[in-house]
Amino acid sequence: MASSMKDIKNRIKSVEGTMQITKAMELVATSKLKKARERIEKTRPYFDFLKETIHDIENSSAGVNSDFYKDREINKTCIVVIAGDRGLAGGFNSNLFKKIIADCQDKDVCVVPIGKKAGEFFVKRGYDILFDSFNIAENVGIADCYDLGRFLSKAYKSKKFDRLVVYYTHFVSMMSQTPACDAVLPLEKSGDKKKNLTLYEPSPESALESIVPLYISGVLYGAMAESQVSEFGARRMAMDNATKNADEMIENLTLKYNRARQAAITQEITEIVSGAEAL
Amino acid sequence: MREFNLRILTPDGPAFEGAVESVVVRSTEGDVCFLYGHTDYITTIEYGRVKIRQNGKYRNAACMGGFASVSKGEVRIVATTFEYADEIDVERAERAKQRAQKRLEKAESDREIRLAEVKLSRALNRLSVAKMD
Repeated sequence: MASSMKDIKNRIKSVEGTMQITKAMELVATSKLKKARERIEKTRPYFDFLKETIHDIENSSAGVNSDFYKDREINKTCIVVIAGDRGLAGGFNSNLFKKIIADCQDKDVCVVPIGKKAGEFFVKRGYDILFDSFNIAENVGIADCYDLGRFLSKAYKSKKFDRLVVYYTHFVSMMSQTPACDAVLPLEKSGDKKKNLTLYEPSPESALESIVPLYISGVLYGAMAESQVSEFGARRMAMDNATKNADEMIENLTLKYNRARQAAITQEITEIVSGAEAL
Repeated sequence: MREFNLRILTPDGPAFEGAVESVVVRSTEGDVCFLYGHTDYITTIEYGRVKIRQNGKYRNAACMGGFASVSKGEVRIVATTFEYADEIDVERAERAKQRAQKRLEKAESDREIRLAEVKLSRALNRLSVAKMD
């Protein structure tokens, strides 16, 4: 009995230790989440506007000839996958990967992984990796996004791929984050034959030439910010659950411990009483 | 003068929003000035000065890359960075200029040269705009 009491006590101690860690991780995720949300609020108008402008351009595309518009057969798809650097965030990474696997099963794809987990996942499965210098998603800044945007638009123009899609995790609320994908290239050419009154300088082609890389990097940066918020949200939730579970476990173990202690006392009393009776 | 709405956006957040009388930006073709009632328009912009006229007063700013558009009477400038002339840290820009010059001398690959050139032109733009005020 005594040894089992000690065992239970040790278990309680170890669970308590784990609980402290999960609690600390939850707090860290909460404070990082707050910062990331502030960032997203600041940058959102910029990206909304980039998207709006591209949309305007798409709508007034009559008579504009550019490689960025849809007019070639789609053979190869390039997917940019934005995931986290670390685990312990519930289904944050695996949900995204599941969606990608389901979407890209019978397609010819090449991957640009962003984030350590995405890199590991796609390298292990032998995917064609187009660009992999962004191993740590947390360190990717706006300048890197500009670089990547330029790189991708160049690769698209040189027909390394015919379609560009970005996969990331959309932040719906503190409670739910869902995997999402945005099609970036090619641009949709609107069927509207309405006369195009927008003036492009020096020419529509060269304006697109510099706006499209900006647009790609904008989408990437926006998606990255979104993914980061989602990661912290998912981690906060996962850690909250872990802490609750640990709490429950401690409760159960304490009950067990008390029972074992009571049993030991009862046994001792029985022993003493029967000893006294024998005298 | 009649006023129109101007919005300047950067990845760090909106840099300007309000009614102005005129705005000058440096496009790839040269300086372009927008006034009230401009037609729908899109152009790419270079590293250069942005000059805003509001309530009869002019204000200069250093603006790096991006594009400018006019849509339904509103002018929008999308830039990587946007700093008012009186907010530019001249010493820092001077140091950045020297650093970039040194790097340009030592640069070997095309990429290095390109990076150093970009850094240098950013610093030079900041310095020249700061001197305008």
